Amino acid sequence: MKILTEHESKKLLAEYGIPVTREAVARSREDALLLACKIGFPVAMKISSPDIAHKNAAGGVLLDVGRLEVGAAFETIVGNAKKHAPDARIDGVLVQEMVPRGAKIVIGIKCDSQFGHAVMFGIGGVFVEVLDDVSFRVVPLTKRDAIEMIEEIRGRSILAGCDVGAIVDTILQVSEMAAKEKIFELDMNPLIACGRGVVAVDARVIFKD
Amino acid sequence: MISKVFEPDSIAVIGASSNREKWGHRILDNIISGGYAGVVYPVNPNKDEVLGMRCYPSVLNLPHRVDLGIIAVPAGSVPAVLEECGRKGTRGVVIVSAGFGEVGNTELEDRVRDIARDYEMRMIGPNTFGFINTHLHLNASIIPEMPEKGGISFVTQSGTFGLALVDWAASQQMGLHLVVGVGNKADVDDSDILAYMSADRHTKMIMMYIEGIERGRRFIDVASRIRKPIIALKTGRSQAGSKAALSHTGSLAGADRIYDGAFKQAGVIRAGTLEELFDSALALSISPPAGDGIGIISNGGGASILAADLCEDLGLHLPDLSERTVRMLTGVLSAIATPANPLDTAGNGSYEMFKAVTDIMLSDRSINALLVIYVHAEMVDPCLPAEAVIDAREGYDKPVITSWIGGTSIEAAVKLLEKNRIPNYPLPERAVVALNNLVRHKRILQKR
Repeated sequence: MKILTEHESKKLLAEYGIPVTREAVARSREDALLLACKIGFPVAMKISSPDIAHKNAAGGVLLDVGRLEVGAAFETIVGNAKKHAPDARIDGVLVQEMVPRGAKIVIGIKCDSQFGHAVMFGIGGVFVEVLDDVSFRVVPLTKRDAIEMIEEIRGRSILAGCDVGAIVDTILQVSEMAAKEKIFELDMNPLIACGRGVVAVDARVIFKD
Repeated sequence: MISKVFEPDSIAVIGASSNREKWGHRILDNIISGGYAGVVYPVNPNKDEVLGMRCYPSVLNLPHRVDLGIIAVPAGSVPAVLEECGRKGTRGVVIVSAGFGEVGNTELEDRVRDIARDYEMRMIGPNTFGFINTHLHLNASIIPEMPEKGGISFVTQSGTFGLALVDWAASQQMGLHLVVGVGNKADVDDSDILAYMSADRHTKMIMMYIEGIERGRRFIDVASRIRKPIIALKTGRSQAGSKAALSHTGSLAGADRIYDGAFKQAGVIRAGTLEELFDSALALSISPPAGDGIGIISNGGGASILAADLCEDLGLHLPDLSERTVRMLTGVLSAIATPANPLDTAGNGSYEMFKAVTDIMLSDRSINALLVIYVHAEMVDPCLPAEAVIDAREGYDKPVITSWIGGTSIEAAVKLLEKNRIPNYPLPERAVVALNNLVRHKRILQKR
């Protein structure tokens, strides 16, 4: 089992045409400031480590970071991560654009022993398991499958005003990716949907060995 | 060819026995007593005669090759016997014997499958109760009772429970065509059987009891091309996703949820309960698919409101009646009854009233299917409103489903409805659930 970092995961998603946040990994605080200036303020900053799966729990996420706070934020995040997991390999800190507000959705892949890859769609965010409002289809999906799995969700009204066509496209891109890559599991959570499209804000790809 | 298995001209029962306790005895006995018209050969090296028939030591000694070999010998002897079937040119086999993959003996199961494939024999099982083909009067199974002939083909897992389900279905006078115990599915699996049933002219609908599907994507591809209704009950709804999963998707993806999605892609109606499975199979085997505009008639308001409530819960709708329908109903109803949907005849269960309102409601364009509920009252002969429904639906191709509610006094009326191929249910909720599945089938067809 090989787990990609958020940044590596998004690079793979981008290859399949899935919109992801503008971002890069900073190795130092100076690096972080430079990247943040390029991306535009405010930024999100997240620990980048192959050994830390739950970035929030490790104190490794700071949002809405302004120009004057970037350096300190870098030190805080790396410090927290080292305290949380002293043996973790740390690539640096991921500096990323802040995405405007929108509906938080989740799209994922699960490799099933009977059906092969299945795609999941549902209401995302930190309460994804509590809300438990998701639907599945087996790969490869048709456009109609994608539309139906959106319509099936109990909370579909939160998508009012969102670009549903962009969500359908993303589900189909994920289906294509599932068919081609040796993925064990994938999470894009959250994927922010608004009137102008979707963007993957966090992602994790887990490969089979 | 699977058709040679399910429609054989000749059968060898290998492991035929005079011992009533043995499956080889029960199957041979069921084939003979069922009235199968083809040729049957008992095979057993230790007997000269079984059930008064000449018994052969091996299939190799049979005067002709046979279409079907039914094998009921101890698991260890199956490879040798199967090899002989192959050498004799047998077209297909059903392996009733147990003691293969289900007890961890996958090596023996693989060997048996390889032999069958080498000789191009299709194989049902191992570890199956066999099959029944009512149109050939062929009971090649250990099921004691031959079911009524009809359009339902039933594919089931072969455990004790599957056997009990078939026994129960037979006693319900559900009209069945094929009943197949899939067993361990070493060769022929659910998808192969679906493909056969799709082309089979006697099968009007397919009913499945499933514990697991192995090649899931193939199942979707095969089932999604079938226009006949397929309804399935899949056990294991409670299977949760792995708590230790590495992702949210992993933890939310219980196997059952993927089945849910897969059935939708396959165009298979998923039944939530056994009752729904059997009730809906009955309706789907004799009624056409329906749009979602439902009309309800009853001689007792409570029952029709109950049915209307459930319609709404299931997403069916009760259309407002057209002006013409209202005018016509006003002409036949008493002053205390309101011409609306659901329609309450205010206690009138007479032939004339049920005939008139059934006819008028069916003539309304917005009504795609009709549920007629009769609540038994002491003063009325319940056969009369039943006859009224039977007569009134003449000339309409919309589904009419009934619910005659009462005890022993309505039995004759229920028989009358059944005889005239109207799906009848003892409770209105069950009728609505069955009706809903006629609507689901229509939606599935419209998606294709």
